[in-house]
Order: sequence, then C-alpha cells, then structure tokens
Amino acid sequence: MAGSALRRLMAEYKQLTLNPPEGIIAGPINEENFFEWEALITGPEGTCFEGGVFPAKLIFPPDYPLSPPKMQFTCEMFHPNIYADGRVCISILHAPGDDPMGYESSAERWSPVQSVEKILLSVVSMLAEPNDESGANVDAAKMWRENRDEFNKIAERIVRRTLGIPT
Amino acid sequence: MRALAISLFSVALTTIVVANAYYQKKQFYPSVVYITKSNPSMAVIYIQAFILVLLTGKLMSKVFFGQLRTAEFEHLMERAWYAITETCLAFTVFRDDFTPKFVALFTLLLFLKSFHWLAEDRVDYMERSPVISMLFHMRVLFLLLVLGSLDFHFVQHAYQSTMTNGASVQLVFGFEYAILLTMVANITIKYVLHTIDLSSDAPWEDKAVFLLYTELVMGLIKVILYVAFVAIMVRIHTLPLFAFRPMYYTIRDFKKAFNDVILSRRAIHNMNTLYPDATPEELQAADNVCIICREEMTTASKKLPCNHIFHTACLRSWFQRQQTCPTCRLNILRAPTPTTQQPRQEQRPRPQPVPNPFGAPLPFFNPFQPLPNENAQAPAPDANQAVPPTTPPAQTTIPQPSRQGGTQQPPLPQFTVSPFMPFSFPRFMSPPPIPPQNFRSLSSEELRRMEGNERENVEARIKCLQNIQVMLDAAVLMMNQYTLSIATSSTMPSPVPQTSTETTNGNAEPTATSNSSKETEEPNDNSSSSGSSASVGSSNASNHASVSLTETDSTVISPEEELRRRRLQRFQQPVEQQQ
Repeated sequence: MAGSALRRLMAEYKQLTLNPPEGIIAGPINEENFFEWEALITGPEGTCFEGGVFPAKLIFPPDYPLSPPKMQFTCEMFHPNIYADGRVCISILHAPGDDPMGYESSAERWSPVQSVEKILLSVVSMLAEPNDESGANVDAAKMWRENRDEFNKIAERIVRRTLGIPT
Repeated sequence: MRALAISLFSVALTTIVVANAYYQKKQFYPSVVYITKSNPSMAVIYIQAFILVLLTGKLMSKVFFGQLRTAEFEHLMERAWYAITETCLAFTVFRDDFTPKFVALFTLLLFLKSFHWLAEDRVDYMERSPVISMLFHMRVLFLLLVLGSLDFHFVQHAYQSTMTNGASVQLVFGFEYAILLTMVANITIKYVLHTIDLSSDAPWEDKAVFLLYTELVMGLIKVILYVAFVAIMVRIHTLPLFAFRPMYYTIRDFKKAFNDVILSRRAIHNMNTLYPDATPEELQAADNVCIICREEMTTASKKLPCNHIFHTACLRSWFQRQQTCPTCRLNILRAPTPTTQQPRQEQRPRPQPVPNPFGAPLPFFNPFQPLPNENAQAPAPDANQAVPPTTPPAQTTIPQPSRQGGTQQPPLPQFTVSPFMPFSFPRFMSPPPIPPQNFRSLSSEELRRMEGNERENVEARIKCLQNIQVMLDAAVLMMNQYTLSIATSSTMPSPVPQTSTETTNGNAEPTATSNSSKETEEPNDNSSSSGSSASVGSSNASNHASVSLTETDSTVISPEEELRRRRLQRFQQPVEQQQ
C-alpha cells in the first residue's frame, strides 16, 4: 500500500476528474509525481476577472493532508491577496501555527478536512471578493479600495493576456 | 555538453603533460619523477583526478539511482555546499598534516556522504511514488549494502589506526563514518518499513509510530556520537568548528523527534482512554468515509466528543500536530468532559437516526427551546426551529425513579428528566413542548433548515446555553442551601422545621444530579466519575465543577460559533457563485 498522502491525492484527483466543479480543472502535471499539480481557474462571473482562465501550480508537502499545499499562480496576477510572484495568500492555505499577516483566527486555517477542491473554490471566491485587509499585494489592495476603475482595467488586461488576446 | 567539453579538455591536457614528460625523459620512472617535481604538471594531474572523481560519481549515480529527480539534485547541491565549507574548516584544524592523501580522504568522505543523502531521499520518495519497480528495490538494497560495508570498513580502519598510532586525523574520519553508519541503519529501517507497507494491501497504521521511534533512537545515537566527538577533539586538538553546524542540526532533529514521540504518545493515550471506538452502527449512520484520508472506515476508528468519526491512525497523526477535531476544531484537550460535549453535539447536528433502546420515542427536553419565562414571544417549536434531538444511546437510560422518589414537588407527567435538567423545573417554568419524534416526518428541506447556520439559530443556541447556565446556577444555590442545612442540623440537636423541609426538598436533587452526571460521563471517561457513593460533599463538588465548565463553555462558544459561521459562509459563497 502506498503512502497515505499519495493515496489521498489519488482519491482527490479521481474525485475532481469524475465530478469537476464548474470552472475548475486540476490534476497532477505528471502522473508519476502526484505532489505537483496544475490547476486552471476561470474568473468568476460578474467580477472584473470574468472570462479569464488563470493557470496555477499546487505543491503538496510529503505529509499532506496534515500540512497545507502551496499554491502559486503561474500567470501574471494583480490582486490584493496574491503576491507579486503569484503565491496565493488565503487563510485556508496556512497551517494553524503560522500567521503571516497576524490577523487570522485558527478557525479559518488549514485542517485535513479541506481539500484541493475547497482550496480552489476559496480561491475563486477570493478572486470575486478580495480581502483588502491582508496586504499580500499592497498596491493592489490600495487600488481596490480607492480606485476601483483602475483596478478593473488592470484586471481586464490580465484576463485578456491569459486568453492570448492582444490588449 | 559543457561537462563533456571540460572532461575532454582535461583529458587532452593530461595527455599533453604525460606525453611531454615521456618525450623529455624517454623512460617511465624518470618521467614520473619529472611530473611530480613540476608544479604545473601536478596541477593538471589534480584537475584530472578531480574530474575523474566527478565522472565516477556520475557513473555510480547512474548505476544506483538512474535519473536523479530535480528535487533530489537540488537537495544534494545544497547539502554538498555546506559539506564542502565544513571540510575546508576541517583543513584549518589539520593544517599540519595537509597532504594530497589527506585531501583525497576528505574527498572520498564527501563522495560517500552525497550517496548517503541520495539514498535517504530515494527511500523517502518510496512513500510518495505510485509505482515502485523491482529495479528500485535491487538498486536500493545493493546501494545500502555497499555503503554500509564501506562505512564499517572505514570505521574499523580509523579505530585501528588510532589505537596503533595514537590520535590523528583518523579520529575525524572515524566519527564521520560512524555517523554515516547510523544513517545507513536509519535508511535501512525506513526501507524495510516502507517495503512491508507497500507489500500489504491494507494500510499499515503503526508504521508512523515505528518511524517516529526509529527517528528518536537514531537521533539519540547521533547526538551521543557528536557530543563525544566534540569532547575528544577539544581535549586532543582544538575546538572542531566544522562539527558545530551538523551537531546543532542533529540536536534540533533529536529534539523534534522527542517532541513528536511525546505528542504522539499523548494522542494515543487520549484516544485510548477518552474516546470510544466507533461502533459499526455509527459507521453505517455516518457516510463511512474518513475525511482525513478519504477512505472507507472499515478498520479501527474513533469517535470524538463532537461526534465526528475518523480512522484511529489518521487521528493520531493529526493530533501530533494539533489537538483539535479536524472538522469542527473542538479542542479535545480542553473539552473532554461531557458537560461541554453535550451542547457541542447539538451545534452540529448531523441527521443520524438515533438508536432508541426503548422502541418508543422518548419525550425529550429540548434545551434549544427558549425558556418561556425569558422569551415570551418564542414561537412554538415547529420543525423549522427545533434542533433534532441527537442523543447518544447512553443518555436515554436516565434513572427516572430517583427523581420521583423523595421529591415533594408536584409531579410533572408530560416529560422526563434529561441530563440537561438534572433537577426538576422551578415552578414558574412550564414544561417545554415536545420536539418532533423522529426524522421520518420531516422533509429533507426541513432537515436542511435545521442544520442552522443562520443568525437566528445561532442566537437560539446561545440563548439555550444561557438557560442551562441559569438552571445550573440555581442548582448550585440549592446545593449550598442544602449543605448549609446539613451543617446546621448536625450542629443543632433540634433542627428548625423550615430547614428540615428544605433538606427533604433538596434531598432528591443532588442524587439525581450525581446520577445523571455520572451517566453522561460514562461513555467518555470511566476513571473520572463523580463517585457512585454520592456523598453530599462529592456530589456538591462535581456539581460545582460542571457548573464552572458550562460557564466557561458558554462564554467561549459564542465567538467560536461566530467564527465557524463565518467560515461556513465563505464556503457557501463560492458554491452559490458556481450556481
């Protein structure tokens, strides 16, 4: 019997391929290594990211699901909760011990009950409703709060870029 | 490509040097002397030797590992740089006997070390790889054999040379190879454990525990070796700076392993004593999938106080990290007692059919019904408002006669006592209405509404907890009065009639309380019962304890509840957006 982390990742992969949630595709980059996944997330409708298809990379630790995976967008992103290098900063991805922004309660943190699907759904909801109190990208947070039109313009440009449409 | 060019270049250089020497001296021996005397030629020869070592390394890794994974390579490089720095530091200690042979020995050590690291990475990878071929096993076994025998040989050699020639640089090699030998032992044990796990069809639950203890023992041996090494080096030569970094890491790893073992032991102890095994019926009632590993629960599984069921092994590894329920984050160390357990259970009602040992539906006091005297406008509990009465089977066996036995209060035939109402209702409270008797009469829509994450439901729950608190406070007051009257009656030979009625009035209540509290504690913890003898003092004390627990709980719950609600809302949002 293979390791528990591997079995759980395989189970989640199967679940995601059998019942894919709308607007989300995810799976291992290479089926020999189940600890690195790629995900494609479509921007939620009715938001400034509508229509975009955003690729992201998920790296799972050897002790998954006891520790959370890391998620990083591989395309350009401009969002208050995404670092400039694409790393996603949401509480569900943080282990209960560490608190990079110093405001998260342990109730919102990672636990083995969470799954890839829940993470990706959370990311979709994060795209729809940025939390401008956590400043992973301070410029984006400021612009989201003060200059929404400008933010929407940048978001639209990013959406076009992910689709390969010239801006 | 570049590597090929460099090696070709070095081979060419060496050929030129050797050819030049032979051309000048014409004979073998003089040309060797010529090369060793000339510094530039020796430099070329050294470079050639270095490149040969690298090439051998490449060949060996091809033989033993095949293609290195990117992660393995990065790991190797990172560790190699540290090791090279430390080797340079070691050279400063032994600068007196700095000879080519000495450098060669250190290079060999580095070379072997890197193979140990790679072997470690490879064996760790076993657990994460979907396919393990026969070739993999052959390679690992052969590699471990070779590394182990080499290490052993070098340790022996170092020991003999130290014994015959006295302390020298061989001491360092002896210790280094001894540590590598422990590493080989560690890798071998891990490999054996992984292989056993891989060959069986069912997951092997104790493997994690075995791994933990292996880590602990190996860590201890390494720490002892390092400490002994540093002590000896300080006595003979000087402070071995180069050993400090690995020693620090070894001690840190050992500390971590030690903590892990302690936490794991505590988790196992908690699980064995505090939480009952899930019965097959409970497994049937829940969806039967352990949410940690997403696999069916056919093997040993445990039920937490919050009614969530998980595999024993999965829970143990999670409790090593955190002592909370993975689903509802109930702190299992802080809340192992039933007083906090009961409200928790009702907070997350999972619609499960409750096995009813009496066959007939039991009338049941619903604590979530706002008390009439506190909230007169409270609507009658229709199916939307009432929370399903999920009672564990143990609760239904409440000793009812004990209440009716000596009590002077008017009998209340409509309802029986539940653990929430260990004493009879004060007169101003009317008996609460009876909630729906079973779930079949409810539509799935109504059941969903009962899950209750909305604000009003949460408020109703908090209100209910406050009601419980008020009742318990009242019970404490009565208890105090009761003990007071006992004290006065024992000191005074002729008791006042007023106190005596109070004594009889209260007499039934503490027994009921102690009985029911014992009853509720039983499923969880047999050791901490309130004492079946039910002496006044002990029942009083247990009542105090339960009251204070409830108080803290009711204050703690409201923020936690709020947070949980928020979290659930966050999950609902994306789902709604999807639809």
